[in-house]
Amino acid sequence: MSTTRIREIREIIREEPVMQPRILQALEGGPRTVPEIAEAIGCPTDEVLFWVMGMRRYGKIREVPGANADGYFRYSRPDWTVSA
Amino acid sequence: MDYDVLVVGSGIGGMESALKLGDMGYKVLVVEKEASVGGRMILLSKVFPTLDCASCISTPKMAQTIHHPNLTVLTYSEVEGIARNGGGQFHAKVKRKARYVDEVACTGCQKCETACTVAVPDQFNADLVARRAAYIAFPQAVPKKAVIDRQGSSPCTFACPAGIEAHGYVSLIRSGEYEKAHRLVLDATPLVGTLGRACYAPCESECTRGSLEGTLPIRRLKRFISDRHVESGEDLGIEVAAANGHRIAVVGSGPAGLTAAWQLARKGYAVKIYEAASEPGGFLRLAIPSYRLPVEVVERDIQNVRDLGVEIATSTPVRDLEALKAEGYDAVLLATGTPRSSGLGVPGEDRLGVMGGTDFLRKVKLDQPVDMAGKQVVVVGGGNVAMDAARVARRLGAASVTVAYRRGRAEMPAHHVEADDAEKEGVAFTFQVAPAEVVGDASGAVSGLRCVRMALGEPDSSGRRRPEPIKGSEFVIPCQVIIAAIGMTPDTAAFAGTVGVGRNGALQADPKTLQTSVPWVFAAGDVVNGATDITRAVGEGRRAAHMIDRWLTGGMLDGFDLRLPVVDKQQVLARQKTYTIRPAAKDGVTLEAAPRDFREVEAGLTEAEAHEASGRCMDCAVCSGCHECVAACPVDGCIDLQARDQELEVEVGAVVVSTGYKLFNADLKPQYGFGQYRNVITGMQMDRLLAPTRPFNTILRPSDGKVPERIAYVMCTGSRDETVGNPLCSKFCCMYSVKQNQLIMGALPLAEVTVHYMDIRAAGKRYDEFYEQSKSMGATYVKGRVAKITEKENGDLVLRYEDIENGGTLVDAEYDLVVLAVGVQPNREAAMLFPEDKLAEDEYFYVAEPDEDLNPGVTSIPGVFVAGAAAGAKDIVDSILHAGAAAAQVAAHLERTQAKTKVPA
Repeated sequence: MSTTRIREIREIIREEPVMQPRILQALEGGPRTVPEIAEAIGCPTDEVLFWVMGMRRYGKIREVPGANADGYFRYSRPDWTVSA
Repeated sequence: MDYDVLVVGSGIGGMESALKLGDMGYKVLVVEKEASVGGRMILLSKVFPTLDCASCISTPKMAQTIHHPNLTVLTYSEVEGIARNGGGQFHAKVKRKARYVDEVACTGCQKCETACTVAVPDQFNADLVARRAAYIAFPQAVPKKAVIDRQGSSPCTFACPAGIEAHGYVSLIRSGEYEKAHRLVLDATPLVGTLGRACYAPCESECTRGSLEGTLPIRRLKRFISDRHVESGEDLGIEVAAANGHRIAVVGSGPAGLTAAWQLARKGYAVKIYEAASEPGGFLRLAIPSYRLPVEVVERDIQNVRDLGVEIATSTPVRDLEALKAEGYDAVLLATGTPRSSGLGVPGEDRLGVMGGTDFLRKVKLDQPVDMAGKQVVVVGGGNVAMDAARVARRLGAASVTVAYRRGRAEMPAHHVEADDAEKEGVAFTFQVAPAEVVGDASGAVSGLRCVRMALGEPDSSGRRRPEPIKGSEFVIPCQVIIAAIGMTPDTAAFAGTVGVGRNGALQADPKTLQTSVPWVFAAGDVVNGATDITRAVGEGRRAAHMIDRWLTGGMLDGFDLRLPVVDKQQVLARQKTYTIRPAAKDGVTLEAAPRDFREVEAGLTEAEAHEASGRCMDCAVCSGCHECVAACPVDGCIDLQARDQELEVEVGAVVVSTGYKLFNADLKPQYGFGQYRNVITGMQMDRLLAPTRPFNTILRPSDGKVPERIAYVMCTGSRDETVGNPLCSKFCCMYSVKQNQLIMGALPLAEVTVHYMDIRAAGKRYDEFYEQSKSMGATYVKGRVAKITEKENGDLVLRYEDIENGGTLVDAEYDLVVLAVGVQPNREAAMLFPEDKLAEDEYFYVAEPDEDLNPGVTSIPGVFVAGAAAGAKDIVDSILHAGAAAAQVAAHLERTQAKTKVPA
């Protein structure tokens, strides 16, 4: 059973502006899932989801259509293309 | 009477009542506390059992409500109180909360929202995603107008005497917008680098984070953006108005004079600064030691002023104000500070080796010879100048430096950090001693300072304990140099014949307008107030520029301090139950016991440190005041961050209470793990995930963004539950869960949906068929209470439940996501609308309908009616029916009492 205490949503969301550049940097090499982004920036996946969805809402990242075999979507920088 | 009817709340019930009454010809005022009409229905995915799109059927009603000719709608407004006025009518007080956005001018383009630097949980998305402080409630909002969530002034910003938007630049740094942060400070003063080093940071004293692990290093963040700006080599990027033909003379080039010149030049004035000293900058350039404030930093800040075309004439003292006027200046600002050191006032103070504190500091800053090597130095005084003088003397090689102060350490006016740092650099302190005589040798040079010991008596007018000499306690401190740093005074003799001069030579000026007895002469800063500090002087300079501009443009001399009230720090802290404690920034100061040079003792923040530090900001006022929304808005003047709430008072003939319901707070059932396990969500959150305007790209589990394959529902969470004080059935949870089951199976064809229920209540037209349809689609319904939910390491959830239909065995089942079908509770704010007349509640605290069988909608107060779920849990269909009934009751009441503004059409 997990014993890790989750942080308050307000506190996590408040940090979104700080985390944006780190997440964008993690996506420089191409699209990644939330767990992959979390591993890259060293933060919990639930917190990364808040930041990713906040960034998605304001057009800073977008999802790649279709979830992978494990059930995760990948997210990319808006300017990312397959050939990039 | 202003309106026939006041409708409080604009959910589906409120809208329905208002529209029906409007259609009958009554004038209706609708007051809605949120920024859009529509209540909860507009936020739902679809409605049951028809599976019509909630947005599609809500928005026409919302638009009708806003555009109906007989309806006046006030959104983002609150009814503060309703009372009977004696004539069978009602008097209502309504607060129109400041939106900070012109409702008429706003085009709903969302550019303010995109530009905003503050992220907060989005209540319209059930906290699943962030919104911004500047926001439009939701995509179908009616009216589609932005609102800025600005709850006052943040404590840091409010505390700044210079009027610098501290929260704003911290927020911009957090967003990596360093140049914009720099420009925001430049909006107040050109002295960004100076204040980033030498300000005593009253902002930090008020920082709410100080109640946790420690204040943000707000001052050093300012230094960071200044240093970054210099490194970047970018232009200032400051807008300057076209020349307006007026000329202003500013006398004095300290922080007040430089700031005033800067602000006036930005307004298009031709400004010339007259400085008596050989270098501009006043105290900044000629007193504050370089280890605290390097000369090149001050010169860089002064260059900012020059870059706007301000001319600075040094070694040019002004002695004749009339002559200045005759040169063609339209106004003169006197900001000459307090350049003179006060004398000791004891015998022997003219001996060789006695000097004033500021005189000593000035000589050092101008590289004039001062011989301290190997000497014993006594500094008299306990202020910042005394600390500076002592530390400078140490750096010049003094054998010993002793600060002699007549009170105790706690009473020293010096900033405690300065005193602490002085001590670390080898400065000695002797407290409760006062100079009595300068002792000298035969050559006339100083050989010691005779002192008398002091006892501290009762507090004086400054609140500090008054020092009183102790008889017979005299002693001599051997020394060769005495630095008198006991005060500073203005040098205003030249102005005495023109403007009023008061005690200690201070100029007399109106404290608000800064205008002297001569209308075209203004005075600001220490020359008026006595020695204060840089930040206050900057604030005075800003005020003076504002007032001079007002005076020359024929305006009233007011309107300078437009700060909103400061937010309550306890309320800010109460927004969260728990906080993560972050390491406070290191102070970056390196001190040596015997310093020998003037290198800066404090290091700047690295980018990583600045980012980390700014990320600790708690956004106390929510809106940071960064002004990015103003810059992004395509409509000039649309956003006004100084707007104020407005109070309205209206007379109405009847009131409809349609304040809706509250959702059960799911963390009151801790065994279900809401708030502890991210993958336990509420039914409202699932409705948002299913809605076309969903916060995620699809249904994802919140712990890691995985598409869930096994989803469970826990019915009756917080309803039909005596343990949480809510024995009532919430009536629609079963059906919204059935609706969601079908939508999930449509969106995620591979998902398994299991519903844990006690009994399914599907009483309503086509409801049971809807339930059966869900089962036929593949949803599994398991009868039995869920005892508890636990979480596995991977975020999966284990439900322990009783399987009644299979022998009552206890079963553990694993799911990816659990939805709590939370019930509803009464909104008790309804009763608080009537502080004088008691609006009766039923035994469950919903608005009571004393004769609900025959007279639905009628409350305990004649003329007050209730519509929709404010009277009890209702689904949408029942809410609309009830609201229609309430409208009919209102019409009957108005006809009966003839309390109406016009005859119905």
